[in-house]
Amino acid sequence: MNEEKNIKEQILEKTAREYFYSAEDDFKKERYNSAVVLYFKTLIALVDLYTFQNTGNTPSSHTERFRICQINFPDVYNILDKDFPFYQNSYIQIMTKELAEVMKNDTEIMAEKTKVNL
Amino acid sequence: MTQKLWLRKLKLIYSKDVFDIIQFGSSVIEESKPNDIDIVVIFNKIPLKEQLNQAQEIKKQLQKYSELPVHITSFDLYSFFDKGNFSKENILFYGRSLISGNYFSKKLGFDSKIQIYYSLKDLEKKDKVRFNYMLNGKKGEYGLLRKYGGKLLKPGLIEIYPEFEDIFVSSIKKITTNFQVKKILF
Repeated sequence: MNEEKNIKEQILEKTAREYFYSAEDDFKKERYNSAVVLYFKTLIALVDLYTFQNTGNTPSSHTERFRICQINFPDVYNILDKDFPFYQNSYIQIMTKELAEVMKNDTEIMAEKTKVNL
Repeated sequence: MTQKLWLRKLKLIYSKDVFDIIQFGSSVIEESKPNDIDIVVIFNKIPLKEQLNQAQEIKKQLQKYSELPVHITSFDLYSFFDKGNFSKENILFYGRSLISGNYFSKKLGFDSKIQIYYSLKDLEKKDKVRFNYMLNGKKGEYGLLRKYGGKLLKPGLIEIYPEFEDIFVSSIKKITTNFQVKKILF
């Protein structure tokens, strides 16, 4: 059980870092649409990690993720709910540097909550 | 529960940074069956992070008035008119202010209307009569123009409110395909 816990946490931490570094790379190259998508994916990995740390389970879909957070972690839900539309619209909307910075800031809030060093 | 939030006396709390709060999309179209309520909050120039946080607070308040999920987006006055904002036309044309209860376009000094140009030239007489009944009514029943506040500007041209476009177009299509729809801001 503990081994499973460690493996899940390690996977979520690894994916969060990988997305975050790729997001940073795109941000530096001024590819803000890609950066927004990758910061959001970082956020999701960290939200799942936070959920796992607090409930012992990980959600299997966006719907479940939103539902779990809405019930158990309203502050996390607020971040997800605020940022999700940008992820959804990232292929039809031009994302700005300012928005990418806001998304990055939100991933850092979640990193702090999960005690992950990005 | 009506989805026409602009017709309700909403007790919304928002800051002076808010230029307007607008309902748009399928939920403002007459006789549509929307799956959600689209709302846009337009701000005066403030940082994006602040816009998003304030919009979330407004969303929480609005969600209490609707059983359908509320989707909220935010812009400032500059980003609203950016060419990358694909929803701009829809908001300008159909949007209803939740602050004034009026069309959002009014706030910018415009009226939004739909003009439909049509020709009955190639129709049979019975279809010309049907068309006339459809617009003007028959035997004491209201036609579409009276029912939905439209106007016959001249033969072959009617002007209607934007939210009734689908109703008029689907009714006209049953009789003729010889018509053209223009969106007018004036």
